[in-house]
Amino acid sequence: MSASDEPLRILSVCGVGMGSSLMLRMNVEEVLKRLGVRARVEATDVSSARSMQADVIVGQGLHTGELQGLAPVVVTITNFMDKDALQRQLEEALHEQGWL
Amino acid sequence: MGAQPITGARSAVRVADWREAVRAACAPLVEQGAATATYPERCVAMVEEHGPYIVLAPGIALAHARPEDGVEALGVAVVTLAEPIAFGHDDNDPVDVVFAFGSPDARQHVGLLGSLAAALEGGLADRLRAAPDDQAARGLLVEATSEGGDVGA
Repeated sequence: MSASDEPLRILSVCGVGMGSSLMLRMNVEEVLKRLGVRARVEATDVSSARSMQADVIVGQGLHTGELQGLAPVVVTITNFMDKDALQRQLEEALHEQGWL
Repeated sequence: MGAQPITGARSAVRVADWREAVRAACAPLVEQGAATATYPERCVAMVEEHGPYIVLAPGIALAHARPEDGVEALGVAVVTLAEPIAFGHDDNDPVDVVFAFGSPDARQHVGLLGSLAAALEGGLADRLRAAPDDQAARGLLVEATSEGGDVGA
């Protein structure tokens, strides 16, 4: 059963919110398409992310460390070129939440 | 969508530390008028303020600052380093390919970064490392970031 008809709200974060978080947003969108998950993905900077509502936050450990607890799922990535790893991490986390 | 970026490249550059690497990556943007002389220091400051998150993958960094930090036109440049240097990143150090970009607003670089990400997945960093000179490196960057850049080969 699907958890909700609403698309997941996902934030990709980095320091400034327009470089690496943008690349990450594109990766997350592609991976979720592969998984058949509907989502709205927004790239943002880490300080703005603190005051935003999200189901999932994705970023480097440097930033996700500061954002633990702000969303039910916080995914830490290290290599922006490794979409397969991102897919595995998201798949596992979404399963745990019953969102997949 | 959007304009073609201004591009520049330097290969096998020698730098003493990551700050010099970021400045070297930004230098072609300044020389060609895509960014003002203050932009490289703003890119350095971003890392000082927010940490080495610009290191995206093993060996690869993407330096940038904000549009209001002195960007005049959309631009992207790259340096390859003769000797890899540390940015202080837990997983992806040392770095030997440093890109720098500047966007005049929050949107113009979206297509550019998409093309760049796809090219990096396709092995652009290794092709840049193997480039014999600045001109060859620049050619690779132009091919990777121009519209429909994947098609050029």
